[in-house]
Amino acid sequence: MYPRPFTYHRAASLKDAAATLAELGPEAKLLAGGQSLVPLMKLRLSSPAALIDVGHIQGLNYIRAENGAFRIGALARHTDMAQSAAARHVPILHDCAAGIADVQVRNWGTVVGSIAEADPTGDWAPVLLVLDTEVECLANHGRRSLGLAGFIQDAFTTALRPGEVMQELRVKATERGSGGCYLAFKRCAPVYASASVAVQLALEGATCRQARVALGAVALTPVVATESAKALEGSDLNAKSIARAAEAAAASCEPPCDGRGSTEYKRALIRKLFTQAVNVAARRARGESVEVSHHYA
Amino acid sequence: MADRSSTAPRREPELLPHQEPAVEKPARAPRNGWVGRPIERKEEQRHVRGRGKFIDDFKLPGMVHMCLVRSPYAHARITRVDVSEAEQHPGVICTLTGAEIAKLTTPYIEIGPDPSARIQDYCMAVDLARYQGEPVAAVIAISRGAAEDAAELVQVEYEPLTPVMSAEQALTDADVIHPAAGTNKVWQGTFEYGDVEQAFRDAATIVHIDRMHFHRFSSTPLENNAIIGHWDQRDENIRFWCNNSFPTIGIQLVAPALGVHIDRIRVETHDIGGSFGIKITNYPYMTLCALASRKAGGKPVKWTETRTEHMLASAHGNERTFLDTRVALDRDGVIIGIDSRHLDDCGAYPRYEPLGCVIWTQVFAGVYRFRNARINFSQAVTNKCPVGPNRGYSRMQQLWFLERCVDLCAHELGIAADEMRRRNYIRPEQFPYTTPNGCIYDSGNYPGMLKLAQERLGWEHWKKEQEKGRAEGRLIGLGIGTTLDSGTNNFGQSRIVNPHAPFSGNSQAANVKLDMYGEIVVSVGSVPQGQGHETTASQVVCDVLSVTPDMVTVRAGFDTERNVHTGHTGTYASQFAVSGLSAVHGAAQKLRKELLRLAAYALNAPEDQLELGIGKQGAEVRVRGTDRAINYWGLANIINVNNAGLPDELQDVTLNCRYTWRAPFKIPDLERKYGNLTLTYSSQLHIAVVEVDTDTGNPKILDYCAIDDCGVMINPRIVEGQVHGATAHGIGAALIENCAYDDSGNMVASTFSEYTPITSVNIPNVKYGNMETPSPHSYSGAKGMGEGGAAPVHAISAALQDALYPQGIYITESFNNGDSIFSMLAARRQGRSTAGVRTERRAK
Repeated sequence: MYPRPFTYHRAASLKDAAATLAELGPEAKLLAGGQSLVPLMKLRLSSPAALIDVGHIQGLNYIRAENGAFRIGALARHTDMAQSAAARHVPILHDCAAGIADVQVRNWGTVVGSIAEADPTGDWAPVLLVLDTEVECLANHGRRSLGLAGFIQDAFTTALRPGEVMQELRVKATERGSGGCYLAFKRCAPVYASASVAVQLALEGATCRQARVALGAVALTPVVATESAKALEGSDLNAKSIARAAEAAAASCEPPCDGRGSTEYKRALIRKLFTQAVNVAARRARGESVEVSHHYA
Repeated sequence: MADRSSTAPRREPELLPHQEPAVEKPARAPRNGWVGRPIERKEEQRHVRGRGKFIDDFKLPGMVHMCLVRSPYAHARITRVDVSEAEQHPGVICTLTGAEIAKLTTPYIEIGPDPSARIQDYCMAVDLARYQGEPVAAVIAISRGAAEDAAELVQVEYEPLTPVMSAEQALTDADVIHPAAGTNKVWQGTFEYGDVEQAFRDAATIVHIDRMHFHRFSSTPLENNAIIGHWDQRDENIRFWCNNSFPTIGIQLVAPALGVHIDRIRVETHDIGGSFGIKITNYPYMTLCALASRKAGGKPVKWTETRTEHMLASAHGNERTFLDTRVALDRDGVIIGIDSRHLDDCGAYPRYEPLGCVIWTQVFAGVYRFRNARINFSQAVTNKCPVGPNRGYSRMQQLWFLERCVDLCAHELGIAADEMRRRNYIRPEQFPYTTPNGCIYDSGNYPGMLKLAQERLGWEHWKKEQEKGRAEGRLIGLGIGTTLDSGTNNFGQSRIVNPHAPFSGNSQAANVKLDMYGEIVVSVGSVPQGQGHETTASQVVCDVLSVTPDMVTVRAGFDTERNVHTGHTGTYASQFAVSGLSAVHGAAQKLRKELLRLAAYALNAPEDQLELGIGKQGAEVRVRGTDRAINYWGLANIINVNNAGLPDELQDVTLNCRYTWRAPFKIPDLERKYGNLTLTYSSQLHIAVVEVDTDTGNPKILDYCAIDDCGVMINPRIVEGQVHGATAHGIGAALIENCAYDDSGNMVASTFSEYTPITSVNIPNVKYGNMETPSPHSYSGAKGMGEGGAAPVHAISAALQDALYPQGIYITESFNNGDSIFSMLAARRQGRSTAGVRTERRAK
């Protein structure tokens, strides 16, 4: 289990990392937590000619609430998110962070790295898609900011340009009366989801004023299930409207048939997870504190 | 080949006289000492602190590394292997190819008879690759990294052939995997006892089950295979540091393949991170390391397997298909006859097989009383990873088969699951019980275990919950799995698969001595992989010598040169508690006798007035009721370093006592396939409560109970740990873990991300309980219990059956996950039948 040879560069700052990336070209990869990249390199499924290690840059592991947004630094680990006081008020972030793989992976893996990887079965993308998330990118020639939906372009493909690095994620704080939930089905603890559902709802009295739904692991990219969200909006979230929305969510994806299950089985998982996620999100929107856990085989 | 002593089907076997004299009973040890106490394991400190010594931790002077190039094809002709570029790579010392292997070695001895004996199994593919992951070339380099880089430069050309992916396909012989054998059939035999035809004529009901299938899985030890081989050019001796768990078999295969005398091979094992039987078959890699070392100029060569290599090419458990099963029952639902055809898939090379073709007959009858049965058993090679003796080896498949039969019949006849079992269990008063094939079950109380399990679980509570749930449309099932763990096997059963097999009986050796300063040192050549042999051996010695475990040093681990062993030594098949500890007990008793004789001389007192104990100066022998004593240092001193003037009658005292324990076995009757195959029979009774999600098909364990009876427990903590471990393995096998192949022969679960071995989030709280029916066949009353009979697989299959029977679904696969249950539910909703089970009721 040894990777192919590569050169190693330790970045002193993100700017330095961007400059080195620009200099070394597309054969270079950034190393942050390494929880996806290192196993892929050991299996020789990925063989970058150079690694630019950003893991030693100080001050990038922040999760801060600032001006109505959460700023998630490039080196904030899943564990940092799970333990973040700032993020406690957005339970969907905690659902996701605390349910990733095992404690070793959570202690090393980073939120930003997970988005950069754009693995179709990754946990973070659906969650951050139902929140308003901007990706801050940094390059030699300056910065830019992109919406997350446009950032993820395809399986393992993002809008990052050559020489560009992700600096932080900026997640708009949710309002009072808004609640979310993220649930996945996983065959055992340390593996990627077979299917996952993220839901964020805003209630006005008993009525769902706004809904956002995103599905993970059921297509080449996370699926924003607009029709499903529409089915929830304006309803009082009774069993019937939730069932209709669940159906719309299942219809909005074409899950691949693979070792994790058949297309129809995964659609059934989506319906199940969706129903529970909506119920939990609604309770949280009403101010209840609800603990949830992923579904495991 | 019917059992000649029977002429009619018998429903009341307890009326039968024992057909074989009962096993000679050893004297029972007293029960107030260290044996039976849940003491902390001696091994715990080093393992919890990461101070174990595993093979990959060893770094020898001049050591180099081997990396293997493996076939991506399940079945292909190798037309060209070009290592020239790899050999030019910096750091590469040499390479090995199949062509060289064919010149340097002879094929391994096959255990099976002709024609499968003609199978040519080398440590590397020579002209045909027969499973995905089979080694086709080796690169030896100064570092593992360099070896892996160079391995990518080896060019191999293949001509793909039709992969043979099931035993059914293999037995057609349309594509023959081993041309030298001329057939894919490895072994075939009929096991028939009683009068099967009469039983079916007498039956009130006959249940037909078209097909059942027990899937492939592996117990995935945490530590992969690892070997260092050193062919020393100074003396031409070969030394292995390895984690093979049955080294005496390993070297009996490696030595002839290499063409060297076995005494030139030294094998050492150290700490091992689990084997579960899988590491018994790592001997081809031992051979490769030895050859690599010789070609590398006598440098030690290390090979450490990666997880992907382990999943692809170490060993999987046996896969078995049960066809055309018929079960005859009387009007009370008592099984009176079974007739079935079993096909075993052993993968690309038989290796330890076809021993599995007879080992299942240790539990031919399971826990049931039927006397008439005919099972036609065949084994075939396929283009999959070779199988190895995985935890529950070859018996769990048979136990699952019988449990499915009993369970399906109960549902078909409308008899409650627990009642069905009570009607069919061997009864407590029948022990020792001789099975239709001559095995002697030493002890057990299956109805008692069922009662205990039902109480511990809260059976009545769950039956009510099930009823309530059904009214709400929920699918809840309760399932019982009753199993046996047969331990200390009679190697004579190998003669049933091959009359010329040179094995029989069973034996283990131990040595207990006083070292020069009176230290008590126990040597057992066993190969523990987490079973706590150092602890249990010390408990046994403490009781004999009246000392405490901290005073006893136990040297476990195999070492051909430096530790005791017999030809059966290894750690496998649930036997150390009986075979290993009987040897330790025998050696400790010899030492005790010597200590008493010596002390009698030293203290000038008659032996019968002496006692062993702990005094102010440590362990000692004293004159009872006085303070006249000599401690172990004093006794050791007299014999070891201060022995001038020792009287003649003490000249034979060495304080260094070896004892070889032999199991009291006979060679079975080969024609009738009849005889005692195993010394002890632990039993397990598990109950699972499982709910199936009606929308997704996902099964969820709501409650779980595991009762174990291994007779007298040497160390209840270790027993409980083994039960939990075996339960986790079984739940994983039943619901999550499957060594699945696609039609092209690709192993689709070659990483842990895909194989998904069970983790803590998948395991319910297990309600554990213990029952004790002491074995009359071991001195301590203990029975081997490491494997556990895969009870969770049976219990979960039964629970799923109970949940899904009202839906018209039959559970005929051992592996059921949400995906497969979802498709069964979907098929039923569309009105399609999912499996062929039918019940024929006859006017009686």
